[in-house]
Amino acid sequence: MSAPPWLDLLDETIRVCGTRGRPDLAERLRQRRTRLLEGTLRVLVVGAPRHGKSQLINALVNAPVCAVGDGVTTLIPTVIRYGATPAAEMVAASTGERVPMPVEQVAASVGGRVGAPGRPAYVRAEVAIPRQLLAPGLVLVDTPGIDDPGSPRARPAFAALGQADAALVVAEATHEPTASELDLLRRVASACPTMTLVLTKTDLAPDWRQVLARTRDRLARAGLPVRVVAVSAALRQRAARAGALGQLAQESGQAAQLNAESGFPDLVRHLQRDLVGQVEVLAGRTVAAATRAALAELAAPLRAELSARGSARAGEPELQLAQRRLNALRRRSTRWQNVLSDEIADLVADVEYDLRDRTRTILRRVDEIFDTADPLQVWDSFAEWLEENLSLAAERNFAWLIERAEWIAKAIAVHFPPDQPGIYPESTFEVPRDLFDAVTRPPQPAFERFTPTQKIHSGLRGSYGGVLMAGLITSLAGMPVINAISLGVGGLFGTRSLRDESQARLKRRQAAAKAAAQRHVDDFFLKFGKDSKDIARRVQRRLRDHFSAVTEELQESILSSARAARQAVDRDAAELSRDLEQLDALQRQAQALAGRGALAVA
Amino acid sequence: MSELSASVWDLLTDALEAYRDSPAAAEWLGYHMTRFFEPLRIAVTGPARCGKSTVVNAIVGEQIAPVQAAGVQVLTWYSGGDEPAATVYAADDSAHEVPVEHGGGRLGLDLGRWRHGEISRIAVRWPAACLDRATLIDTPADAAAGDEADAVVHLVRNVDDAALEPLYAAQDSPVARAAPVGTVLVLCRADEIGAGRADALSSARLIARRHDRDPRLAGLCQQVLAVAGQIGYAGRTLTDQEYAQLRDLAAADRPALEELLLSADRFLRPGADTVVGAGARRMLLDRFGLAGVRLATALVRGGCRTARSLSRELVRRSGLDDLRESIDQDLIGRAEVLKARSALLAVERLLATHPRPQARPIAGRLEQVLASAHDFRELRVLTALRTGRVPLPADLAAEAHRLLGGEGTGVAERLAVDHPATEARLRAAAAEALVRWQEQATNPVFGRQQRLAAAAVVRTCEGMLARLTT
Repeated sequence: MSAPPWLDLLDETIRVCGTRGRPDLAERLRQRRTRLLEGTLRVLVVGAPRHGKSQLINALVNAPVCAVGDGVTTLIPTVIRYGATPAAEMVAASTGERVPMPVEQVAASVGGRVGAPGRPAYVRAEVAIPRQLLAPGLVLVDTPGIDDPGSPRARPAFAALGQADAALVVAEATHEPTASELDLLRRVASACPTMTLVLTKTDLAPDWRQVLARTRDRLARAGLPVRVVAVSAALRQRAARAGALGQLAQESGQAAQLNAESGFPDLVRHLQRDLVGQVEVLAGRTVAAATRAALAELAAPLRAELSARGSARAGEPELQLAQRRLNALRRRSTRWQNVLSDEIADLVADVEYDLRDRTRTILRRVDEIFDTADPLQVWDSFAEWLEENLSLAAERNFAWLIERAEWIAKAIAVHFPPDQPGIYPESTFEVPRDLFDAVTRPPQPAFERFTPTQKIHSGLRGSYGGVLMAGLITSLAGMPVINAISLGVGGLFGTRSLRDESQARLKRRQAAAKAAAQRHVDDFFLKFGKDSKDIARRVQRRLRDHFSAVTEELQESILSSARAARQAVDRDAAELSRDLEQLDALQRQAQALAGRGALAVA
Repeated sequence: MSELSASVWDLLTDALEAYRDSPAAAEWLGYHMTRFFEPLRIAVTGPARCGKSTVVNAIVGEQIAPVQAAGVQVLTWYSGGDEPAATVYAADDSAHEVPVEHGGGRLGLDLGRWRHGEISRIAVRWPAACLDRATLIDTPADAAAGDEADAVVHLVRNVDDAALEPLYAAQDSPVARAAPVGTVLVLCRADEIGAGRADALSSARLIARRHDRDPRLAGLCQQVLAVAGQIGYAGRTLTDQEYAQLRDLAAADRPALEELLLSADRFLRPGADTVVGAGARRMLLDRFGLAGVRLATALVRGGCRTARSLSRELVRRSGLDDLRESIDQDLIGRAEVLKARSALLAVERLLATHPRPQARPIAGRLEQVLASAHDFRELRVLTALRTGRVPLPADLAAEAHRLLGGEGTGVAERLAVDHPATEARLRAAAAEALVRWQEQATNPVFGRQQRLAAAAVVRTCEGMLARLTT
């Protein structure tokens, strides 16, 4: 036997379901495949409760296998298939264990009192009986009644329909289908492509022929071209009893007549010819329906995603986000540049003031020193002191500069995303090598010295005046110009002039030393101030360069992520379309298969 | 007016006072105040094709509800009146009198100029004794009885969750839960059970009785009954001619009759082996249904020798007697309580939809009425006793049932005092019952539920004594 034409399609669909992350769909189809390959035809009997589903099956197979009785309803499905000897098994709800059970007890276990509480202990019953009707692989399934097709209670029934090859929908022949029965038919039609409406209880309905005609008419108008058969289970059972009892020709003739009246021969013929006889066609139709349902389920999310993408103009959200981030970055960079220039201006002013303040303190101290000390004697130690103080001032000032520069770097970094790596510059500036060259030892100015010759000269010049003055006065008294008195006065005058001269010279030296120190400090201030201004400027340049680089880096990363998003979107869309195309191709195959099935049946 | 009715009436008038300035609310309350003194309204509800109209006809005993109307189902009210008359209320609430044909216990309405969807409801007045005491409402398929009805006869073909959903839905308010239900659940088309066997009705009755004892149903309905509306109606209106035909049918020998009654087709077959003509058979089948013909012939063979006895037996077996008795006792007999329930529901609804500060005391009063209404409690205990949810020893249960008004709400009926029921005798009987039940209310053997039931009986006895003394 060659592989049936639908097998490839089914396998391919199962594979696609598997790869698309829907193992549930794949599993469902796989079960389907197993059933189809078994060559059986699974016919589900569905309908509202108390419409005679179980009676119908019992009458069809001429055996009380399904739960019937006053106030008794079918609680769990019963699966009836062919078996050479009668056998039955119950499938337990919790463990899935199969419990053998005598056939005649199955009906009692399957049925339950209407509205009785509690869950049944079994999930289904499986019965095998030796009946010619079932021999070609026909499997009948009796189901609990569906009272309201729209309610959640009916869901398991529809799920079971998805696994069936055909459905017999049961309704009563006493009236035309009601709105809820039509609803049930419509729902069954969508779950199971092959179905037949069976009107039961024709024995009780005087006008069942009119009802049958009107039902056909109504279904045709409702767009449900369903085959409708009318039967009476009661008559069929009666016929079976008569046939079993009657050995006489007359009795069996009566049985045949009753059987004909029951409408069952029509139903049996329909089952055999249109369902069992067309099993391959039906299989094709079933596969077509099942795969189409599965494919539609697969395609739905893809299609939804694609259309959502299309309406959002592919990747726009990512680009908009990038644009927003760029704008934010731009705003941030003007802000930090302002911060930088302001802070550096402040820094320069502050550093200069600090340096001036420090040098002025030093100069005040220099004045105090040289008010008393003789530069000639103290210069060396003074020069050392001055150098020390200046270098101290320079260091303090410079340390402060560094501190401020670090602080500025931090203040600017606040304006960047905190998670950005490398946001702090490694160093804010470089120290010029000749920075502390400004601090030098002041050169010693040329001090006026009071040499012994000058002292003699100065003493003589003072004493000459004294000797002459006193000599002239004493000469009036007749004493010689040079006498003891004039010599004494001369000595006094000489000493005095010597002291005066020495004092004046000291003053001049002190002034000179002060001037020299002042000049030196000025020089230092000029040079070091210039240096530190340079450093501040260099800090500014360095910070600007660093943060500009960071900004650029950020900008680049935003743009590249947007570009990546855009590319990913394009790639996804292409992939989606490709997937959908694949599904559509399968869908077309299923359509073709369904078309073939329909042709063959017609 | 009983204590309950008086307090409910006061509540209604006070609510009207509180809502004086709201025309809609005042209209709503006014409507319910008028309704308070009208006959009880009983709605017949159920899914399509379960025989609602047939049951209405069977209750009234005349064919007033149009059976098998061609797909058009309209809410129809049947109330008592001197002359048959019908009013059509259009969708815009305008009223139009329509001509009525009547004769032979049949109602024909000329609705020629009305199209489906234009009619909101039809009000039919018909001279019938039972319609004077209660208004029947025939509802379209699956429509809820809503607020319009005080009591409900709910028809189901099958007692399962889906069929009971409307009943659960009707319990969805504090008042509805506190007040006893005015619902009788009917397993309809009982004749079709068991493929229309002659014993289908007794089987249906057994099923109904089983459901009646189901505690899950106890809170939902007063009683569960099996009714074959068609057989009941046909039995109630059985003519002598029909009886003669049935008798002729039954006269045939047994296998031939069985053969004839095997299916509707066989029964109607022109050349069938019977003396009854094909036309007559068709009429019999239309009136009784195949199950009905089977039952009737079996009854004739079993000994019903007159049309009267056959009629009585058919009505009894169809469950129609039970239904009418239940309507009389459980619904019309409790009309006052059920009316009060409807009025309380109306006030509750108004309070929920139009809350306002002035109405707050009304809400408090509503709760007070609910909590103190002893009539409600009596009904609940009665139901609990009947369904066996609260088991009492048989003699005590019977007495409690009687005292609580299970056999009639009159004082003499409750106390089982024979004629002449003088006041002195009644008082003595009441005092005796009171003492006996006071003991039971503290009986240490009893559980809490049983003691509560006994306490309810004590309260009933006290109420009777108080009424007798004043």
